[in-house]
Amino acid sequence: MAKLWAIIKREYLERVRSKWFLIGTFLGPVFFGAIIIVPAYIASKSKAGTEINNTVILDVTQTGFGNRLAAVISGGPAGKPAAAKPATTGAHPSVRVIPPAALPAAESTATHEVMILTHTGYLVVDGRTIEGESVRYAGRSATSIPDMERLRSAVKEAVLATRLEKAGINASQTRDITFIPLNYSAERITEKGRGGSGIASVMFGFAIGFLLYMTIILYGQTVMSGVLEEKTNRVAEVVMSSVPTNTLLSGKVLGVAAVALTQQILWVLTTILMFKLRAPIMSKLGASASPFAFPSISPTAAVLLFLFFLLGFVFYASLYAAVGSSVNSEQEAKQAMTPVLLFIITTAVFIQPVLLNPTGTMARVLSLLPFSSPIIMPIRMAVTAVPPWELGVSLVVLVLACFGAMWVASRIYRIGLLMYGKKPSFRELGRWITYSG
Amino acid sequence: MTLPTIDIQHVTKRFAEHVAVKDLSLQVPPGTVYGLLGPNGAGKTTTIRMILNIIAPDQGTVKIFGEPASASGITNRIGYLPEERGLYRKMQVRRVLKFLAELKGVTGKTADTRIDQWLERLSLKTSEKDWGLSKIDELSRGMQQKVQFIGTLLHDPDLVILDEPFSGLDPINAQALKDTIVDLKRRGKTVIFSTHLMDNAERLCDSVCIIARGEKVLDGSIASVKEVHGTRTVALGLAGDGMRAVAPILADKSLVLRADDSNRYYEIELAPGADPQELLRRVVASGAAIQRFEMVQPSLHQIFLQKVGADHMGIEEGMSGHG
Repeated sequence: MAKLWAIIKREYLERVRSKWFLIGTFLGPVFFGAIIIVPAYIASKSKAGTEINNTVILDVTQTGFGNRLAAVISGGPAGKPAAAKPATTGAHPSVRVIPPAALPAAESTATHEVMILTHTGYLVVDGRTIEGESVRYAGRSATSIPDMERLRSAVKEAVLATRLEKAGINASQTRDITFIPLNYSAERITEKGRGGSGIASVMFGFAIGFLLYMTIILYGQTVMSGVLEEKTNRVAEVVMSSVPTNTLLSGKVLGVAAVALTQQILWVLTTILMFKLRAPIMSKLGASASPFAFPSISPTAAVLLFLFFLLGFVFYASLYAAVGSSVNSEQEAKQAMTPVLLFIITTAVFIQPVLLNPTGTMARVLSLLPFSSPIIMPIRMAVTAVPPWELGVSLVVLVLACFGAMWVASRIYRIGLLMYGKKPSFRELGRWITYSG
Repeated sequence: MTLPTIDIQHVTKRFAEHVAVKDLSLQVPPGTVYGLLGPNGAGKTTTIRMILNIIAPDQGTVKIFGEPASASGITNRIGYLPEERGLYRKMQVRRVLKFLAELKGVTGKTADTRIDQWLERLSLKTSEKDWGLSKIDELSRGMQQKVQFIGTLLHDPDLVILDEPFSGLDPINAQALKDTIVDLKRRGKTVIFSTHLMDNAERLCDSVCIIARGEKVLDGSIASVKEVHGTRTVALGLAGDGMRAVAPILADKSLVLRADDSNRYYEIELAPGADPQELLRRVVASGAAIQRFEMVQPSLHQIFLQKVGADHMGIEEGMSGHG
């Protein structure tokens, strides 16, 4: 036990002392901070509508419909044709009332203006628009679904207002009837009840999945090159003459796991800190912080997350160690680790589908299989309520798989570390595993 | 009889393609310097690895201090210097040594004190410079060998196993190694080393075991080995041009089995049944000026050649190309 501790300690201290660990640990939060702040900053700078407000309305109806539409687009009530003051700040759509004959020329002018970025697009309203039949848009936002949706409903609102007035309802009543400044909010409900913002939990789930994925790949390979280093500089033989190979293997895996955990904890802490401080940072940048609640994690969930990480890491790191012990150089290792890498990458491919449908069959199966459960199950836990029995089965399977991986790895490891020369074939590896000595 | 430090009984070890060690038995008495001799690929390293319980024999038993090699706590009493040497390159010397000490159950202050003593003793720590604070990378090859050597002995082991310890050593480190081996023996420790350099073995060993192709060729104390194998060797020294005159005599297979030209004299192994007096008569008759004609004990080198055959020297085979 004391020897296991000595190995863990060496792995941990030597790696934590290295400058790469320091760089990685401090760059991580900067990176995560950028992920949180930059999109929020951009989003607040380009608040929905500021772009679309800069649309030119080419009005050939000669009825003042263009002005009415412009008022709606800029957020005011539809009742009053020429809204004196738009409700929101930012650009106000400019209306050009033109005779039908001049439309081609006006369109060509507008096209040119869009091309030189004076406006973002133009909207042609004619008699058929007032009838509620058709309207035509051309511009940069044509592919933006939210923008087009907004223009469509603005046109509908303006058409409705026109019809109401025709039906004899006066302007102020029309304004009252059609002005619906609806504030739409979405909240997620799971089996556990209300669960905060849906977007937030998906982002949180993705963050967890990505973090686990990255950690396993980065630190799994760290274990591999550590093993390879001991093999090539022949320290392995000295160590093996002092401790059983199983102890050496588990010491390495656990030591590196501790390094990875340290880094993750530092990352999470600094990220939370930055999250708390983001309001002042954002206001310095001239933007307001979006109302994004940090999902809370219960102690039980935290313990489970920790278990899944640790077991998943042990599983993959053992396989990486086996690869490291059976090859002779970094080049060989890069090829030999492909099978292990495939398992992880396959899992990563499924992160998005699982996020979209966290209770589907695929998500449930992947969260039970040992090679994917360490990544998929925490994601599911973040976005949905996973039944306790599924968690239990998944953990048991994973623990068994860990023992299996450790067993196979330690047998390859024991022989591989003393083997120099050519890379073993799969058949030879099989023989090492079944070898009795 | 005292309990042998190492007792190997009928041990066999096979690898996929070949038998590395075949029915090997040997005993190492406590407090002796024991040489494990053999050409490359003879099974020396495999034998050592079985003693260290790094690999297990397919058949037979290995006992250390009277206990199975796999018994717990045994490894703490053994110091091992492998043939291929290396250390964690990016690690500080002192930390490497501390780690190696901890693996042998020596911790804390005890380890620190001993590390200091050893660094000073091998002049890695002087008033000008403490190499203990440098990284392994920054040390010269010779210094790295010293560090590795310290790592082997830091826990004051009762049994020290050195695999080809002299290979790659500069003369100064080789001398330091010899001194240390003698010192260990004086302090009652048992030292085993493998080598294919017979001169070193002859000077240092109390007993030897010669193995070739995985099998024991002979073993015993140096004296007894020489006695058994060494009654038919003649040292012949000639003055001036005598070498040419005796050449036909030495080529006579009925008289001379092998003659080793050592430049200043010949070491001649007589053919079975040949009479040394007959050889002397014919050399005198040849007219060569004799400076020396002496019945001698053969060198270990001669015995080795005689038993293993020069044609087996340098054959590379085996698990990892050494052993």
